[in-house]
Amino acid sequence: MNNQILAAVSEYGTPALFGIVTIAAVGVPLPITLLLVVVGSMVSQGAVNLWWAIGAAGAGSILGDQAGYAIGRWGGPAAIARLSAVFGKHAGLEAMEAKAKAWGGPGIYITRWLLSPLGPWINLASGTARYPWHRFLLWDALGELTAAVVFISLGRFFSDRVTALGAVLGDLTWAIAALLAAIVLGYQLLAYVRRARAR
Amino acid sequence: MVRGRSLPSCGALTSYIESVGQTWRRVLAVGLAFVVAITFTLVFAFRAGRRARHMRGENEPIQEWMSVPFIAHSHHVPPSTLFQAIGVQPRQPRDRRSVRRIASDLHRPTPEVMAKLQRALDEAAHPPPRP
Repeated sequence: MNNQILAAVSEYGTPALFGIVTIAAVGVPLPITLLLVVVGSMVSQGAVNLWWAIGAAGAGSILGDQAGYAIGRWGGPAAIARLSAVFGKHAGLEAMEAKAKAWGGPGIYITRWLLSPLGPWINLASGTARYPWHRFLLWDALGELTAAVVFISLGRFFSDRVTALGAVLGDLTWAIAALLAAIVLGYQLLAYVRRARAR
Repeated sequence: MVRGRSLPSCGALTSYIESVGQTWRRVLAVGLAFVVAITFTLVFAFRAGRRARHMRGENEPIQEWMSVPFIAHSHHVPPSTLFQAIGVQPRQPRDRRSVRRIASDLHRPTPEVMAKLQRALDEAAHPPPRP
């Protein structure tokens, strides 16, 4: 699957990039970080125009995110359950919904680029939680453009080491996700201990 | 009769013990999850650091999605050298076909084309001594 996607972008350039990032933003698990890094390398080789690449990646992702939000908001629980079943993820949407409400805009922004695997679920959760659409669009656009600029620039800078860079970024994403989980769990643990001492 | 703190009834005592048990089970579960999360953080951070350290020294492996100019750029070799090695006349202005597509156009297995490209890269990096 990864080979076909990367080959499509290599052969067809920005139109393929636009289509792939849109599909990924709806929730299909595709290696978007690696893809953007590869596009950055193609930019440095003169095979793709920088502004077209940033535009296609940003616009495609925003479009896919909006579709996810719309499914969450107007599709109802049946559509969400079907989407979860199709993509094989039954991750607690209620928990995500609570996170979407608690984290708000910064949460949406961070899950566009730093914790991108959570992005599609935050889109659905923001829709079901009825997070205001104009705010969602603002944070979403900021986050997706940050993702496009950061990863394409990294690809341009390390243009001859893109697969190695993709692997480093993949590991870093998981390290950050695990660190955030550790912080949340540590906070919960501390709260339990304090409550036990107070008794 | 002086009455102290009334003792809980049998049912209330049982439910109290159960609630304490549940709380400690929850603490244990959260504690274990915390340890797992810390372990994952360290493992992935270590892996990322090790990969980043080795990134400069390693050569990018050839993959079937890569185009010939992409491989040439990654290995600092002129694209014409690689096209020549696989016996392909590049399309103009830029041949963006992946190795897999080229292999399919040539009616050859992809690993064979990749092996030819690898040989050409090895020769470019370590040219054979002139007689």
